[in-house]
Amino acid sequence: MKRRVLVAFVLTLALAFVFLLAGAMLDLGPTTIDLRAPVAAHLAQSGVTHPVTAVLLNYRGYDTLLEIAVLLVALLALLAVVGDAPVPPSRAAHPVLQTLARLATPLMIVVAVYLLWAGAFRPGGAFQAGAVLAAAAVLLHLVGLQPGWSRPRLGLRIGLAAGFVLFLAVATGLLTQGSLLQYPPAAAGVLILLIESGLTVSLALILASLFLFLSREEGA
Amino acid sequence: MSMSEPLFDPLAWLILLPLAWATLAFVLGPGRGAWPAIAGLATQCWLALDLAQKVGAGGTAAHVVGGWGAPLGIDLAVDGLSAAMLLLTQAVALPLAIYARSYFKPGDPAGTWFWPLTGFLIAGLNALFVSADLFNLYVTLELVGLAAVGLVAAGGGAQQVAAALRYLFATLVGSGAYLLGVALIYGAYGTVSIATLLPLVTDDAPRLAWIAGGLMVAGLMLKTALFPFHFWLPPAHGGAPAPVSALLSALVVKASFYLILRLWLGPLQAVLPAFAWLMALLGAAAIFWGSWQAIRAVKLKRLIAYSTVAQLGYLFLIFPLLAAPGAIHAGVMQVFAHGLAKAGMFAAAGVLIKATGQDTVAGLAGAVERLPVTMFAFGLAGMTLMGLPPSSGFLAKWQIIEAALAQGHWIIAAVVLAGGLLAAVYVLRVLRQAFLMAPASATLAPVPRTLEWSAFALAAASVLLGLRGVELMQLPGAVT
Repeated sequence: MKRRVLVAFVLTLALAFVFLLAGAMLDLGPTTIDLRAPVAAHLAQSGVTHPVTAVLLNYRGYDTLLEIAVLLVALLALLAVVGDAPVPPSRAAHPVLQTLARLATPLMIVVAVYLLWAGAFRPGGAFQAGAVLAAAAVLLHLVGLQPGWSRPRLGLRIGLAAGFVLFLAVATGLLTQGSLLQYPPAAAGVLILLIESGLTVSLALILASLFLFLSREEGA
Repeated sequence: MSMSEPLFDPLAWLILLPLAWATLAFVLGPGRGAWPAIAGLATQCWLALDLAQKVGAGGTAAHVVGGWGAPLGIDLAVDGLSAAMLLLTQAVALPLAIYARSYFKPGDPAGTWFWPLTGFLIAGLNALFVSADLFNLYVTLELVGLAAVGLVAAGGGAQQVAAALRYLFATLVGSGAYLLGVALIYGAYGTVSIATLLPLVTDDAPRLAWIAGGLMVAGLMLKTALFPFHFWLPPAHGGAPAPVSALLSALVVKASFYLILRLWLGPLQAVLPAFAWLMALLGAAAIFWGSWQAIRAVKLKRLIAYSTVAQLGYLFLIFPLLAAPGAIHAGVMQVFAHGLAKAGMFAAAGVLIKATGQDTVAGLAGAVERLPVTMFAFGLAGMTLMGLPPSSGFLAKWQIIEAALAQGHWIIAAVVLAGGLLAAVYVLRVLRQAFLMAPASATLAPVPRTLEWSAFALAAASVLLGLRGVELMQLPGAVT
């Protein structure tokens, strides 16, 4: 009974909040500042032709730099909790599933490379490409072709950090241009592609790690 | 200097350096990276001092990331308040790094990823203190929050992981509310740049700006552990390893307080001051509740954690007083006083726990005789928390009382005085126990000298700062 009252109370509060928010949003006029114009106006100097990529890697590339650090920290937090437990032997799935996973993996790699390359002029980019690659690793793990990971060895640690290090190095190097991440327009396209390529590999490893380092829990 | 020599802009390097040594520590592997961290932090101390001197001389520092300028790009800006926070962060982190290097023995599971997590935490804090962009501030909040949760959870048993998980929920809900507020602000005004918003948010702001302001401040209050949102703090700060507790209590909770103050004095100054007395009321409640719980606490680190809840309360007493410039000075002085003293106190507690092998106040009998340096450090830090002259805590409380009486709010002055008495009760409770004779059977484990002396340095700094407080308080005179 007490629990019901509590649930009703919380639900009422949440509903009231939704109505308050919706009501306030309905009487919103056009905003004072419209950023679409400056985003479009500087697109030619940004090194890419897709506005979202221009915002993420150029205009607000500093946000993205720190977000990669956030992802690394999430992985570090996970590693700090799980410690060094032995990896249980992986159970092989049905041969049909294994064959399907073997067929899907090369396709997923091709899709990832395409997404990375497409990011310059249409929706896509390092995050999407990295997510597809990580999904391929998870798929292989689920059918028993890729064992879970127990501890990050030197090679893996370098791979996990490489994308961030590359991004950080470019950001620092561009201080010579006047400020952090101030791309010279002529080199912006190449530098952004370089950063995105590095990020694709590292993001794929980070996202896959978040899954593969946890997989040992199921056996424990 | 930032214009003529962009390559050596201290503002940029205060973010780049900790990111670099954090990543290096991660690549070096489990438990490694102490020396790069200490070298990096020493350089950062020098950079922060350089920046503070420049800002103190009447300048401001700015860095236009990407060269675009707000509102298209992200601007970084340092005024007196930011410079003071940067200085405190580096000044607390360096002695704690030296402390942590001796604290974590090789192979200690709690220290496996301490160095990279600490590096990212410091980078996030520095980035937060210099950011002039509401969305970028959200990213820095997430960096700080996740790194802090990772540090609390590291290598702990089920209880510690549960405390970390509770902390994770609190910090995620807090930054989620903040992010929703930022989204509403962007919806209403089309920009997240603080400088651009400043003239736009006026007294006749739409209802949405009020909701946004309320959400952002509520989220940040949760992250600052202001009463009654303090529920996550005692288990998280009390259960973590001592260097982590010190970092969290001294710095991390101050970051969200800084952000509230920044919004209050900056882009949301038309909206937030309506809540000034609510803040002060919660601050007063925090002082009484936190002190009461500290007086009753059985465990030493739990006592210190509840003392943090109480000491954070003073920071919120300044909000109704902000008409007088002394109020901001008092706030900054309290941030420094509590930051240094609490870091020193948790560090001293870490020594006591290592030496006695347990974490209760009752088990401290004989500590004064065996660990005089550590108990002296604890006493000095306690002096600052009580607000005895000539400590910086005295200066902070004196400034609050002065600002309160000048504006006729004697009730705030009374709360400050009562809080000082309550602090005396819980500090003296520990000291009294430490002065008792040790039971004959008690043996103390040997503790590295570095641990004792770095705790002492922090605690002594909190007292000595009171003698040089004027220069520090002049720094945030120039809040822009």
